Amino acid sequence: MTPFRSAPAGYVARWDDVEREVLARVARDVAELVRAESGLDPGIEVGDGVAFTGVARVPQDPAVQRLLPDAHDEDADVATEFRHLTQTDLAAGKVARLVAFADAIDSPDEIPDDPRAGAEIVVPREGAQEFAGALTDVRLVLAERLGLVDDADVEALHDDVLAGLDDDDIDGEERDAADEGSDDADELAGWERVGLTGPERRYWGGVFVAAGFAQESLVDEMLADLRAGRPTT
Amino acid sequence: MNGQTTTRATAVAATGVQREAEAEAVAAVADPWITIVWNDPVNLMSYVSYVFESYFGYPPPKAQKLMMQVHHDGRAVVSTGPRERMEVDVQAMHGFGLWATLRQSGASDGGADGGAA
Repeated sequence: MTPFRSAPAGYVARWDDVEREVLARVARDVAELVRAESGLDPGIEVGDGVAFTGVARVPQDPAVQRLLPDAHDEDADVATEFRHLTQTDLAAGKVARLVAFADAIDSPDEIPDDPRAGAEIVVPREGAQEFAGALTDVRLVLAERLGLVDDADVEALHDDVLAGLDDDDIDGEERDAADEGSDDADELAGWERVGLTGPERRYWGGVFVAAGFAQESLVDEMLADLRAGRPTT
Repeated sequence: MNGQTTTRATAVAATGVQREAEAEAVAAVADPWITIVWNDPVNLMSYVSYVFESYFGYPPPKAQKLMMQVHHDGRAVVSTGPRERMEVDVQAMHGFGLWATLRQSGASDGGADGGAA
């Protein structure tokens, strides 16, 4: 995965096949989760500008609660009313952009002859905000699954994942057997509290870090364009 | 909030003072509501700055100051106004993936004026 760079056609990066497949699959899973948890009718085709009138259901899954949070931290009536008025649109928008994100990386504009070069991912400027938003929702759900509750958890995960890159590919499945027994975590970390095994944490942690790397490089370029007064939408 | 490469997030200068005074003047209007953005460990500092600059149209120093306030104090008041407008802002923040709530400005809460005095 290379960082996104500004180009005439938009923001451009190269992602290899595993990165594209895994991130697309996770995005589709998150879209399904949001759809199911928010009470969106699965038969409805989501898309821009479509208004929904479904009954908003309070999500039970903590990850979806984070994507569709209470709008008031003390007054439950205000929170309920707000959810009733906005949740369906909000959820539909998130589902639509997650699916669009998955579609975009599933079918890149150009696939190189050399598979190691990675396919070119071109994010048009007018679609960059939605692309970055989809990455945010993916990262928020992964963070919940990884038990990341504070900055220290995230930093520890980054350190562990990047240390693992020295001898392994970011796709962790092959190395799991070899790594068994070399775990030095003595106290119960957030990822253990949520019931993840070490290999699971390395795998999903790798996806989380990759999504963060993509988002950070994309947002840096978006911010540069915005501050320079260049058209961004 | 998480900022791997945000060393530029350090120097937020005195340009925010004037805007703070403006915000206080607005808050003095009867019963305005406020939009609060809360810290989380996932959203990147650069993304939060981008949201504040692109959605609210805040100049970079103000966006940066609010972003750092969220990061260090756990929350910041990012907009003030009538309830209907704050509902629009909160919904937009949720759309971006930021954790936001609204509240009536006079409500009992030490952080309602923005926290970092």
